[in-house]
Amino acid sequence: MKQTQQMKRAQANMAPGVLTLEGFLGRDQRHLLDIIIEDEAVVQRLDVSHETIARRMQFLRDGGEKGLGEFVTVEPGILVRVDSVRGKLPCPFEDQGLFEKTTTTVRNERINKDISYSDLHIHLIREHGFYEGKGFAFRLEPKELVEILEVPRLES
Amino acid sequence: MFPLSAFLISIGAVSAISGFLALLMVIADATIANYGEVKLTINDDHEYTVRGGKPLLGTLMEQEVFIPSACGGRGSCGLCKVVVEEGAGQYLPTELPWISEEEREKSVRLSCQLKVKQDMRIRIPEELFNVKEYDTTVKRIRDLTHDIKEVTLTLNEPNTIDMVAGQFVQFQVPEYELTDEPVYRAYSMSSPPSSTGEIELEIRLVPNGICTTYVHKYLKEGDQVTINGPYGDFFLRDTDREVVCIAGGSGMAPIKSILLDMLDKGINRRVRYFFGARTKKDLFLIDEMRELEKKLPDFQFIPALSEPEPEDEWDGEVGLITDVLDRHMESGDNVEGYLCGSPGMIDACVNVLTKNGVPDELIYFDKFG
Repeated sequence: MKQTQQMKRAQANMAPGVLTLEGFLGRDQRHLLDIIIEDEAVVQRLDVSHETIARRMQFLRDGGEKGLGEFVTVEPGILVRVDSVRGKLPCPFEDQGLFEKTTTTVRNERINKDISYSDLHIHLIREHGFYEGKGFAFRLEPKELVEILEVPRLES
Repeated sequence: MFPLSAFLISIGAVSAISGFLALLMVIADATIANYGEVKLTINDDHEYTVRGGKPLLGTLMEQEVFIPSACGGRGSCGLCKVVVEEGAGQYLPTELPWISEEEREKSVRLSCQLKVKQDMRIRIPEELFNVKEYDTTVKRIRDLTHDIKEVTLTLNEPNTIDMVAGQFVQFQVPEYELTDEPVYRAYSMSSPPSSTGEIELEIRLVPNGICTTYVHKYLKEGDQVTINGPYGDFFLRDTDREVVCIAGGSGMAPIKSILLDMLDKGINRRVRYFFGARTKKDLFLIDEMRELEKKLPDFQFIPALSEPEPEDEWDGEVGLITDVLDRHMESGDNVEGYLCGSPGMIDACVNVLTKNGVPDELIYFDKFG
């Protein structure tokens, strides 16, 4: 499948220094479309969807915000902290608006694992099925998200 | 068959043409794109003659005028905004994501993207003329909690800083595994203005944070660090109202600076300081705050734990800092609020203060976002 012009523009925006210092892809040089298609397949195999993952991320982020910058128990065994730093981030797909540099850290005490994500990550997953480039420091692995956040499986 | 000599001639010709084009580009850059000297006027009364062609942010920096920027001028933080009254031209596509409709009406521009190509008149906050770049040495690094470090920097050149309690500096992170080039991040100073030769910062580890990871994993005592500042308008107003401070985590820093400054200056206003943490291991500087309670005539430190562990044996306030604040607020009459923390924490606390009668205009905050 060929990349659309919008995808090409988005991929150009994802280069280091265009919208963010480190970009969105790291050393992953595949076409954006190929990255998205591969992650889509992984998500399907996990019996979830981008929407259910993003919904869960948002739910925990909103619950964590009640901790006012400190970890707070959102569900038994699930602690969440929402941090913010100065600045905002635009979407590389050129969607409207800016996303605050907010980091949500979810600690699943049952399996003793943490994962961190930004508000922009939630948007990128929900709207574009994009988890960032393979091997990149800021990439979110769908499998880890599903495991640590305890994303509910889709009913068949 | 294609003869070798023709092949070599072709390579030579292509190389010669490429070289000629490159030379043309260099000449064009030096002549056509040479904007010569232009006049830069700041706030009507500061005039500089500068070389045109460079981004405004860097041009100002060369004149030792520092505009806050967290990304080092890459157009990825949106912080280096200035009002350009004349000489700016059209908005650039790289500026537009950062500029609101209201800011466009006020001719606000992103100084790292906008190039100085002709005489330009700009407006910046007057206090930015006090901002300098400092070479410093890390004097001490102390663990305040499992994820917050206190970093003390000795100022080398210049060797003193003229700051107001509550302000912040920008810390330059050099190239390392998370960044290919230097970047800046802003941190409030926890030291008081009387400590002119050194400053203290409190830096909490943010997962994947470029600066916080550098400070927590790589920075060591004796390292050289470049900072610039001071910045910000979060400071104690000169009134006799009661002061209610609210913070959590590294939001402690500017509040501590303000309290120490009050002690230095003999300011005896009533102060209550609400500090939120989850468990006892997230609390810090408790002894210092209790010491201040003895030294300041009307100061009360109120730490609160939202989820104390049984082993904490905590007999202090329990609950989110908003709930604790609400329980303690009797009346908002004659009260000023000073808040430092995440946008969510600030918004929630502003609601509690206003609900208790503190006017919006008397609530001052340093929002991390």
